[in-house]
Amino acid sequence: MRELLNGNEAAAEAARLARIEVLASYPITPAAPVMERLTGFIAQGTLKARFIRVESDHSALAAAAGAALAGGRTLVVTNSQGIAYMSEVLYHVSGLRLPVVMAVVNRALAAPHSRFPDHGDAVAQEACGWIQLFCENNQEVLDTVIQAYRLAEDDRVRLPVMVNYESYIQSHTREVVEVPEEEIIDGFLPLNRRAALDVDNPRAINVVTGPDLYMDYKYRQDAALRGAAKVLAEVSGEYGRLTGRNWGGPVEGYRLQEAGHVLVTMGSLVSTCREAVDQLRAAGEPAGLLKIRAFRPFPVEEVREYLKGVKTVTVLDKNIVYGSGGALAREVRAALYGEPEAPPVFSYIAGLGGRDVTSADVCKIFGLTQEKRRAGAKPPAFEWYGLE
Amino acid sequence: MDLFTGGHSGCRGCGAAIAMRQAMQALGPRTIMVIPASCMATIGGSGLKTAWNIPFYHSLFACAPAVASGVRAALEIRGIEGVKVVSWAGDAGTADIGFQALSGAAERNEDIIHVCYDNETYMNTGGQAGGTTPLSAWTPDTPAGKPTKPKDMPALMAAHRPEYLATASIAYPRDFIEKLKRAAEVKGFCYLHVLAPCHRGWGIREEETVEMARLAVECGLWILYEERQGRQRLTVVPEKRLPVREYILRQQRFRECREEDIEALQAEVDQRWQRMAAGAGGEELG
Repeated sequence: MRELLNGNEAAAEAARLARIEVLASYPITPAAPVMERLTGFIAQGTLKARFIRVESDHSALAAAAGAALAGGRTLVVTNSQGIAYMSEVLYHVSGLRLPVVMAVVNRALAAPHSRFPDHGDAVAQEACGWIQLFCENNQEVLDTVIQAYRLAEDDRVRLPVMVNYESYIQSHTREVVEVPEEEIIDGFLPLNRRAALDVDNPRAINVVTGPDLYMDYKYRQDAALRGAAKVLAEVSGEYGRLTGRNWGGPVEGYRLQEAGHVLVTMGSLVSTCREAVDQLRAAGEPAGLLKIRAFRPFPVEEVREYLKGVKTVTVLDKNIVYGSGGALAREVRAALYGEPEAPPVFSYIAGLGGRDVTSADVCKIFGLTQEKRRAGAKPPAFEWYGLE
Repeated sequence: MDLFTGGHSGCRGCGAAIAMRQAMQALGPRTIMVIPASCMATIGGSGLKTAWNIPFYHSLFACAPAVASGVRAALEIRGIEGVKVVSWAGDAGTADIGFQALSGAAERNEDIIHVCYDNETYMNTGGQAGGTTPLSAWTPDTPAGKPTKPKDMPALMAAHRPEYLATASIAYPRDFIEKLKRAAEVKGFCYLHVLAPCHRGWGIREEETVEMARLAVECGLWILYEERQGRQRLTVVPEKRLPVREYILRQQRFRECREEDIEALQAEVDQRWQRMAAGAGGEELG
C-alpha cells in the first residue's frame, strides 16, 4: 500500500511489520514520534509488544539489552545527546552480540544546542561495533529497518544495527512510501531467537575476561562486523526480489559509467547529489555518485572497485571530527591509499547543524574540485563549505 | 544444588557472598540475576569458570534495574512465567550511580526485585566513600573521616511506594530468606536492602563479618523491618539495645570518630528507634 509517510512514521511502520516485541525508548526531539506511533499500535492491538517507559536513554538501551538477552526482538529510537549518553551501553550490546535495532534520527550534538540535522552523533560512535546504515529517503528508512532485523539476527552476524536518517529533512518530511504487506515481511523476517539468559540453560554472561580470552572475542566480533557487508548485499537482494526495491549492499553507484569525477556521500545528501549529478551530466560534465549505505562496516573493497580509474573524488561530509576532518573522506582516502593511480580525494564539510545543502551547492562544490584539479593543486586535508 | 556455589573468588568471610548464598535459598533455580559493577559481579566468574548455577549477567554500573526491566518485558511477551528477575547491586549501584535507573524501575512498578547489598563503601575499587558510608568513617578518600551523613536508602525507596520493601541483615538469615520469599510472591516492584559488612573496608577480622552485622542490629543502627502499602512492621526487635559505642569501637574505619560523634549518633539512633517502634507494631502485614 502506498502511503504518505515521514521518516519517523516509516520507521514505526517498519517496526510494526517486523513485529518487534519490546520497545524501550526515552523521548528526544525529533525522534519521539516513532515511539508515540508504536505505543499507539500497541494500544490498538495492531502490535503485540511491551513498551518500557524508561527514565533515560542510557536505560533505554540497557533495557533493550536485557530484552535481547532474554530473547526478545527489540527497537530503540534516539539521536544526538541520547546516543552520546548511551555510549557505554552501545559497546556492551555489540560486545554481547545482541541483535538490537536502533533508529537514529541524526541530529547535531551540542554545544551549542541544536536540534537540526547532521551526522556528528552517529560518527562519534564509529568505533562502537554496531552496523551503521544511512538512508537517503523515507522509503529506504522503512525498507532498511526491516532489513536491519534480518541482518542483525543472521547467525553469521549477530550484531546490533543503527538505521540512520536525518532529523526534519527526513523525520518530518512526508514522501510517498510503499508499505509492504504483512505476509511478505513475515516470510522475509522469521524470528531467529536466541536467549542468552534462560533459566533452563543457565549461563554466566560478561564475566571477568583476562588477556587469555579478551582479544579473541574482539577478533570474532570484528570479523562478524566486516562480514556483515556481504550479508547486507544478500539480504537487500532477497528483499528486492520480494518488493522490487533493492537499495544495494554497503554501497551503491549512480551514473558511474564513464564518470571521471565522482561525488561520495551518505544520508539525505545522496538524494540531493543524484539531482546534482543529473544536472552536471546535462551540462556535459562526466559526474557520478557513490552512495555509502554502510558506514560500518566500511566497504573498503567496494569503494576501491567503484572508484577504479576515476580522476577525482569529492567527498561531502555532514560531520566534523574535530582536528581531523570529515569521517567519510578519511575512510575513502584510507581505502584508496596505495591503489595504483589512486584519484585525489577532495573533502568538504557541509550542512552541519541543518545548514541547507542544495543540488546547486553540490554543483558548486563539484566545480571547486574541478578548478583545483585544473590548477594542478594538491587536495587540502579538508575544507568547510557554506560558512556564513 | 547450590545456586551460587563455593569456589567463587570472594574473600574469606565476604559479607556479599554470604548474602548471595542466603538469598539463593529463597529465590531458587528459576531466577535471572543481573548485577552491575561491584564485587558481587566479579566474584562469581572469571574466564570460562563460574560459580553461578542460574542465568547471570554482569551489567554496566548505572543500569541493572533497567536491564532487569528489559528481561522481564521479553519474558512476558514470550509467555514465560514463574521466573524471578532480580537486579542485585551494591550500595554504589543502588544509591549513587545506579539510583536513576532504580528510581525509574520502581516508579514504573516493574515486576522485579532489587536487592541492595550494602557494605557502606565502594569496596570493589578499594573502599572509597559513597552515599551510604557512615558519618566519620575513614576511607581512602575521607582520611579525616567522612564529613557527611549517609543517605537513608530504604526511606528513599519507600517514597517510591513499592509493592514490598524490607531491610535485612546477613546475621539474620531466616528473616532475610522470609522477606525474599515474600518479595518473590509479590507482583510488581520490590526493594530489599541487606547489610552485608566487608571486613576489609570496616577494619575488622574476617571471622567478625556476621558478628558485626548482628551488632549493627543489636545496637539499633540497622533496624530490620518490612513495609507494604505504607504499613511498617519491625521484624527483629533486640531484647536489649546495646550502646552504639560497642559497635563503633570494634571497627578500624571509625578511628577518626570522636566521642561527641558517638554521642550524637547514639541520640539519633535512640530517636529513630522510638519513632519506628511507636509507628510499627509487631503484627503481620497482609
